[in-house]
Formats: sequence, structure tokens, C-alpha cells
Amino acid sequence: MSRLADLVWRFPSVVMAWRNLGRNRVRTALATLGIVIGVVAIASLGIAGVAIQQQATTNLGGLANEVTVRSGVDSDTDGVTDEQVDAIRSVVADAPVVPKRTNSTTLSSRDGEEAFVSVTGVTNADALYTVSTGDSPERLQSGALLTNETAQRLGVELGDPVTYDGRLYRVRGLVESGDGFGSGSELVIPIAALDEQEGYDSVTIVAANGDEAQETVSTLESRFNEGDEEKLSITNFASIQENVNSFFDTLNLALLGIGAISLVVASVAILNVMLMSTIERRGEIGVLRAVGIRRGEVLRMILAEAAFLGVIGGVVGAAASFGTGLIIFDLLADDYTLVFGWASLRYLGYGFGFAVTASVLSGLYPAWKAANDLPVEALRG
Amino acid sequence: MAQPMTVIALENAVKRYHTGGEVIEALAGVDFGAERGEMVTVIGPSGSGKSTMLNLVGLLDTPSEGVVRLDGRDVTDFSEDQLTEERRSEIGFVFQAFHLLPMLTAAENVELPSMWDTARDRSDRAADLLRRVGLGDRLDHTPDELSGGQKQRVAIARALINEPDILLADEPTGNLDRDTGRTILDELTRLKRDENVAIVAVTHDEQLVEYADREVRLVDGVLQ
Ligand SMILES: Nc1ncnc2c1ncn2[C@@H]1O[C@H](COP(=O)(O)OP(=O)(O)O)[C@@H](O)[C@H]1O
Ligand SMILES: [Mg+2]
Repeated sequence: MSRLADLVWRFPSVVMAWRNLGRNRVRTALATLGIVIGVVAIASLGIAGVAIQQQATTNLGGLANEVTVRSGVDSDTDGVTDEQVDAIRSVVADAPVVPKRTNSTTLSSRDGEEAFVSVTGVTNADALYTVSTGDSPERLQSGALLTNETAQRLGVELGDPVTYDGRLYRVRGLVESGDGFGSGSELVIPIAALDEQEGYDSVTIVAANGDEAQETVSTLESRFNEGDEEKLSITNFASIQENVNSFFDTLNLALLGIGAISLVVASVAILNVMLMSTIERRGEIGVLRAVGIRRGEVLRMILAEAAFLGVIGGVVGAAASFGTGLIIFDLLADDYTLVFGWASLRYLGYGFGFAVTASVLSGLYPAWKAANDLPVEALRG
Repeated sequence: MAQPMTVIALENAVKRYHTGGEVIEALAGVDFGAERGEMVTVIGPSGSGKSTMLNLVGLLDTPSEGVVRLDGRDVTDFSEDQLTEERRSEIGFVFQAFHLLPMLTAAENVELPSMWDTARDRSDRAADLLRRVGLGDRLDHTPDELSGGQKQRVAIARALINEPDILLADEPTGNLDRDTGRTILDELTRLKRDENVAIVAVTHDEQLVEYADREVRLVDGVLQ
């Protein structure tokens, strides 16, 4: 016998199991298919959860270090007052504090194209906006910033004028949109342009990082809001992100649960297939026992059959889930390479592990039953 | 110490089956022994207890009363696991329906009883046994590529792989035509001498009786 054959026969249970599965390929394939579906359900749902979560986190990411202050429900002024802004400045020390006034308007191009934009009036625009072309003035006095996309649609270029409230502003810089929620089309102009409004709609404090932002939140809370009273509403996206994260953890668990149910169904199918095939082979197993094959050896052989179904189903299922993951990430994040991250790859491992475990567990009873069948009884048929 | 001539013995063996409130006494006190190098046939009408007796001799079943001795040792109260070990090393089986495993080659089928002894490679002995029963050119054939007589030769080789002291055959020629049956019996006779085994064969076939050194007749669970 060849050396390879010698080697594989060192694991007789495995070889026998493999040959036994080869005897009824259709049945083996169908049993495996059940497992494949279970694995794909677990792994793809898990990966989809990861993709959605990563996408949401990316959207929030840029805002985690910003604290937004608005007028609270218990405030007796309309908007945040100058005094409050000064008080905030004194509390946060060196973090930029940017008071904003907001409005909206419709911009139109020379050839009649229109765009609805939100208008933000600020002074120190550079603290909040990063321009992709042009420059972001430290003090915005006469110019304007416009989101890239809007500029493109309207055919507006750097230096071109835009009109707000009857006044012209030259576009000094173009900014990326999409950095945060609700920031579609935006026109940023000097705060003086919105002077008719009392107070400020909001004040943004740009902290060094998410942790400092949260510290700022609690400092401001204790400074301005006593007890349940809310003079100022103070929010930070980091805290929102925590909520979002815990929401997605729950969602992922629910998705995994759904996947696990399909694997339970698959393992019931394996149990059925294994039980049928051991009952069919009762006489044959009786012969094995008669010629001196031990109970434990029969048990291992049949468990190996079940394990094979799990391993094959697991491998095929993991491969299919990997493909599904590529598609999911390509659709949700426009970047299929993200599937190679551990966060999503581990779901392939979970799927595979579940498949093998479920199959072996399903094989236990048929294997135990076959191994303990008395050889005389089995041979009588 | 000289090895005992009688390798397997039943002493006053009784076997009762309880089926649906009824008790069937398949064996009613049988004394039987077989020696190395002899072929004994057990004949008798259907239902007389031949298979039951062979199951006791083959350690596949235990008697309701009486004693089973293997090489002089009382194995009556052995557990199923102990009996499995004894069957593995001391007893070979040949069945009427051959009972080869369809997914294994002839050589692998012969090796089957020792397959899980991974420390001991029996492939040379398997090939040798197959050559001795005239199947040297069929080692890698699967059972569905073999004739009935060839299958029974593979089964005989399988029965001998672990160098047993006893070879048990239940109607070994029952599924074969007369001429093929005769070649199988020639084979058994030769191997009986070469391997010095005790052969106990159950049969209806008078042809087989001609080959036997001794014959016992079983009627209604009693040896005549
Ligand atoms: N497992 C069993 N359960 C019940 N009755 C059995 C069983 N095995 C054999 N018998 C009965 O015992 C008797 C002897 O059977 P058996 O040894 O098979 O006879 P033979 O092989 O000589 O035809 C028969 O009456 C048979 O029905
Ligand atoms: Mg019979």
C-alpha cells in the first residue's frame, strides 16, 4: 500500500466515515446543504450587523469630539445668549467655542438650477470645517463655504458669488458633506449675515477627543443645569455612539439567534440522516461488532461521519458567507476589503464552529445507539 | 503446559428466549466441544437451535444456563466488552450472506477486524491470505466486482486475519452453487490444517458433511 494510504489508515474511523458518506452522495449532499444554509445564516447576518455598525460609526466618528449646546426647555430666552456663550468660554478654557445661527435657503445657478441648502452662520469656521479646495478662514467675514456636491450641481467655483438674503458672498472654500447627520447641502457664511436672529441656535464646542467632550458635557451640566432643570440642552455624539453601539450589540445578538435557529433545524436534519443511515446499516454494524470491532470504535466511526458533515458544511458555508460578506460590505460601505477585518471574519469562525458542534451533537445519539446494539440482534436484522 | 485440545466448549448450555409471554427453549442443555485442526458440522432441521448454538460458541451471545469455555477459561460471565476482545483475537466468522463491506476493497475487507489496531500493519498478511485463497489478483477489487465464491473467499480470509483458534461458519455454502461450494470447502479444509483452527460449520448441505471430521445433529435444542 502507498505511503499516503498507510497514513490515512492511521485514522480508521475517519477513513471508514468518509467511505460511508460516499456511499449515498445525494443524502450526504442534502444533509450538508442544511448545514451550509445554517452557517450562511449565522455568518452573513453577523457580518451584515458588523457592516451596518461600522457604517453608522463612521458616520458618527467625526462628531464624537463635538459638544453641542442649545437652549433648553427651561430657558426663558430664545436661543443661547451672549452671556451664556461667554460663560461657556470661561468654563471650557482653550477648546474652540463656535456659536452658530442657522437657517435655510434656496440657491440658484445662472442657468436656473436650484439647490435647497441649510445655512450656518459662524465666525471661526476653521474650527468646524475642513475644506477640500480653497481655504477655511480663521475669521469668516465676507466669504462663504459651500459643500462640494452643491457647488458641483450649481456649477459654482471658487471665487463665484452666492446670494443669501439679498447679499453676495464669494465662495472661498469647498467642504466635504456627509461628516455627520443631516449635513447634506450646507452654506457657511459669516454670522453677521444672520443678525436679525436673537441669540444663537446652537453653540459647538470642539474638544480634543471624545473623552474630553464627555467631560465638558458634565462640567457644563453642573454649571448651567441645576437638578432636573434644563436651561441648556447639552449633547455629545460620543454618548449617542455608546447608545448606538449597545443597540447594535443587541441587534447582532438577535441576528445570531435567527442564524442559530436555522442551524438547529439543520442539526435535526443531521440527526435524522444519521439515524436513518445507522438503522439501514444495522446488520453491517453487527458484522463489525461480531468480528471484534469495539463499541468505542463504532461510536467514533459514526461520530466522524457526523463531524464530516459538519466540517464540509462549515467550510462550504464559510466560503459562501465570505462571498456574501464581500457583497454586503461593497453595498453598505462601498469597500469590500472591510470584510477582511477580524470583526467580520470571526463570524465565519463562529459559523464553522457552530456547524461542527451541532453536527457532532446530532451524531451522538445515533452513534451511541449503533454502538450499543447487541451484535446478535443486529445480525438477525 | 500442553495447550488444551478442546479450544471451545459448551457445558450443559441452555438458551431460552422470552417472546410475548412465551418462553422458547432454543437449546435444552447442550454439551459440545471443538478441537484445533478439526472441522465439525452441526446439522439439523430449521429451528432446531443451530444458529443459537453457534452464537454461544462465537461469544456473540451468552447462555441462560450452563458454561462457555474458551481455551479452558470460563468466559460465561464476561461483559460485552470482554467478549468483544475475545472475538477479536480468537474467533473468525463466515456468514452465509458473506457480509463484506461494499465500500472497502477485498484487501481492506480482510483487514477489517484489525483495522483499528493502528500499531500493527496487517496489510501483508491480508494480501498473503487473499493469495492463498486464489485472489492474489483481486486485492483492490470491491465486493460488487467479485463473484459469490470470490466474496466467500474474501470472507474466509477476513475470518483468519487475526490468527484465531476458531472459525465459525453459518451455512457458508448456502448462497453458492455446488461447484463453487466445493472449492470453498477445499479451501476451508486446507486452511484448517495450515492455520490449525477449529472449524464449526452449521449446514443443511450434505456435501459439507463429507468434508467434516465429525458431525453433530441437533433436534429441538438437544444434541443427538
Ligand atoms: N432472538 C430470538 N428471540 C426469540 N426467539 C428466537 C431468537 N433466536 C432464535 N429464536 C428461536 O429459537 C429457535 C432456534 O432458532 P435458531 O437457532 O435460529 O434455529 P436454526 O438456526 O437451527 O434454524 C427457533 O424457534 C427460533 O424461533
Ligand atoms: Mg439458522
